[in-house]
Amino acid sequence: MKPLSRSNFLLGAVSGLAVVANTDTIFSQALAQTALPGLPGGSDRVLVVINFQGGNDGLNTVVPYGLPDYYRYRPSLGVPQNDVLRIDDTVGLNPVLAPFKKMYDAGNVAIVQGVGYPDPDHSHFRSTEIWQTAQPKGYESTGWLGRYLDEAALPKTNLFNAVAISNVVPEMLLSRTTDVPAIDALRSYGLASDKSAANKEAFHEFVRDTTVPFRSPFLAQVAEIEDHAQRGAQELPKLVAGYQTQATYPATALGRSLALAAQIVGSKLGTRVLYVAHGSFDTHVTQKQTQERLLTDFANSIAAFYADLAAHGNDKRVLTMTFSEFGRRVPENASRGTDHGEAAPVFLIGGGVKGGMYGTHPDLGRLNMGNLAFTTDFRNVYATVLERWLGRPSTPIVGAGYPMLPSLIA
Amino acid sequence: MATQTTAPVSYRPAGTLDASTALSPYAGPWSRRQAAHLLRRAGFGGSPADIDRYTAMSARDAVDSLLRFADASALPARPPLQDPPLPPRGLYRGFAQGMAADQMTVDARKAFQMTNNQTRRQNLIAMQQWWIGRMIATPAPLQEKMTLFWHGHFTSSPEKQTTGQELLMQNQLFREYALGNVHDLTLHVSQDPAMLRYLDNNVNVKSHPNENYARELMELFTLGIGNYTEQDIRESARAFTGWTFRRNPDGTGSFLDNRAQHDDGTKTFLGQSGNFAGNDIVDIIFRQPAASKLFARKLLSFFVYMDPEPQLVDQVAALITRNNYELQPVLSTLLRSNLFFSDRAYRALVKSPVEFLVGTHQLFGITEVAPVELATLRSMGQVLFYPPNVKGWDGGAAWLSSQTILTRENFANGVAKNPKMMDSAAWIATAMRSMDPRTVAKTLTDTMLQGDVSPAAIAQLVAYLGGSGQSALPQLSPENVDERVRSAAYLTMAMPAYQLA
Repeated sequence: MKPLSRSNFLLGAVSGLAVVANTDTIFSQALAQTALPGLPGGSDRVLVVINFQGGNDGLNTVVPYGLPDYYRYRPSLGVPQNDVLRIDDTVGLNPVLAPFKKMYDAGNVAIVQGVGYPDPDHSHFRSTEIWQTAQPKGYESTGWLGRYLDEAALPKTNLFNAVAISNVVPEMLLSRTTDVPAIDALRSYGLASDKSAANKEAFHEFVRDTTVPFRSPFLAQVAEIEDHAQRGAQELPKLVAGYQTQATYPATALGRSLALAAQIVGSKLGTRVLYVAHGSFDTHVTQKQTQERLLTDFANSIAAFYADLAAHGNDKRVLTMTFSEFGRRVPENASRGTDHGEAAPVFLIGGGVKGGMYGTHPDLGRLNMGNLAFTTDFRNVYATVLERWLGRPSTPIVGAGYPMLPSLIA
Repeated sequence: MATQTTAPVSYRPAGTLDASTALSPYAGPWSRRQAAHLLRRAGFGGSPADIDRYTAMSARDAVDSLLRFADASALPARPPLQDPPLPPRGLYRGFAQGMAADQMTVDARKAFQMTNNQTRRQNLIAMQQWWIGRMIATPAPLQEKMTLFWHGHFTSSPEKQTTGQELLMQNQLFREYALGNVHDLTLHVSQDPAMLRYLDNNVNVKSHPNENYARELMELFTLGIGNYTEQDIRESARAFTGWTFRRNPDGTGSFLDNRAQHDDGTKTFLGQSGNFAGNDIVDIIFRQPAASKLFARKLLSFFVYMDPEPQLVDQVAALITRNNYELQPVLSTLLRSNLFFSDRAYRALVKSPVEFLVGTHQLFGITEVAPVELATLRSMGQVLFYPPNVKGWDGGAAWLSSQTILTRENFANGVAKNPKMMDSAAWIATAMRSMDPRTVAKTLTDTMLQGDVSPAAIAQLVAYLGGSGQSALPQLSPENVDERVRSAAYLTMAMPAYQLA
């Protein structure tokens, strides 16, 4: 853990100013400091985060078809005006997002435009880390949702307070107090040896053997996690077995992940946070094909997800947020692709969102070395989700100076 | 920031440091327990025969034997690497100017990039297999352990299109300087092609200084935050301008001091002024007391225990300074110290995935590395030649999650059930022939855990081997012995002690 350096402090202050200066929405410090909204029934609220890995091109997702510069920068990749699923006179959605546009039209999708952070990093890894730790300067060993888990003091006995539907725990869920299971799929989550009952029983006893002839600062934690791993892997399939999926998901990794997410939500395990990855969007070459495939998959999967949730009466308790480590360079490159860029839109879906457009579209006339300058800091979005949806003060988690986006979440 | 509200969890062992005798030579009991501890820390655990060999020496001779790297020239010197493909002539003509390409060129570029990516992927796999194989088989374990230490410290990865050949050069540099002079190594690292690329110094030029290398050099590699200013970063970045490399056709690189891109103006760095170049910056850095403290903390956390006491850090920092950053004498003192063999240091670290995997290979005498094990390492959270970011692997608690633990156990299960295992691990085959549950249980827990297990667990293992509850007298029979002993070996690897170094 690094101490707060002077540069960190300065950056925090500057970024706060930048947000206020660049955004026409009224950010009210006072609002952020008022008492937390009461959360009737809040205890069963769930946040699902979908990571668009590899850097999704925001400009061809939420298309600024009303800005002539867009077509100048995207001579071959630009989405034709007539194809755009129009939202207003300036922007609309990529046509492959039709099922998602329906959700938007029903008032269940909020789109925050131009989300990013100051001094953007163009490395996939570093920028992913920045979004996941909410710490653009220096290195933070916990994730923003990991810190939420620390702060929220959820029942220690629950093995599934948060679940990563992934084969690794993403940095955003690294916590000091909660061991978050990473579950790629139900069938691969388990101990190979557990097929033998005697073996299973012996394992269970051994991993809890802490009356050993040595002391180690890690002993209790190792024993606890081994115990969690075995019990979790045994219990989860049983706990979710009664759930009947009520939608047809695409036969894709994202479809399967969201189907499992709906199953976990519907099985009422007390899970508050779920993580799902989607990608890879790293479209340096022939972008159209790759991006359209991934966005089609996203639109169909998210529509199925909410249909499934709704069929079980769970749609109101699940807020889904998307993010990507960065958007892409505004001018297309010579390979019909785009290079690593900066700001991009964030989607908030379902739950208590008040549908519509938020923030300001970055100015295509004032690019930052070919990149979109951010107009909303991602930490303002996180703060809104933490305070309005998860019911936690945001300052200990993302830092001070990130007021909520008013009215985004009811 | 969040950093202010949550106090860091400390993994410093309980108990009190005896600072007055911490670094004095250890003269306590010497048994398989101490020898195995030394081999886990200064190596990867070793085979049961290695542990016996070191047990037969004195503590001093055992440490000396590890410090004098045995001749490893019989090991494959390098992995088989493919040269990077050359793009067909003219393929990228007009690319930099952003000119639109015709469809044929676009397709050709795509095909080239696919070949290039495939070569890079295959080279990375070859390098990982080669290095793991080397760690398993090396007669100089501390040399490979230090190479791993430096890899996690002076991080570079393929992320910036770095070639396998460049990363291999860096790996060889770490091996060559394993216990060498840290000051010299830092200068070499500053001129190393993989590093120049990874931290963007290859684009650090007079007209557009890039601060990435200068910042990380101070923040993570030598001084630590708080020991320099933003101005020091800007000034030292200017001193590193023009330090780049020439790419060779075989994929390796050669350092190039491009004078035309070097800023020849006066720089003021950490209170000194002059027309500094990169080597001057490194020299000035190594005159700062903060550098010796950073390396002291890092070595203690890697070899002894996490979160070492400030007083202990100061002692080791003084040792480093006294030895002018020569590591061999520093490690010699550290590894034979009371501190190193104290109860507080014993099993006080979590095995990294590489230590877990390599140590298990050594334990069962399996020298071959199957390609699937590279995926296993990834699921355990560690990919060689691919540290997660510039600060390297956090270690300790960061290795522990349900997923990584399940992967460890399933790997252990696979090794125990490997049909060839009984051939390569003679010790386990011998114990099996006794047909006695007690003998087998004792052999397993003594050999694999040096007895770091409770009597209750041994009793349970005996019951398991004998088919618990099925008869009054635990029995092994020719029909069940192979399966039960393999399962018992797996269960022994599932015990908490086996996760700890």
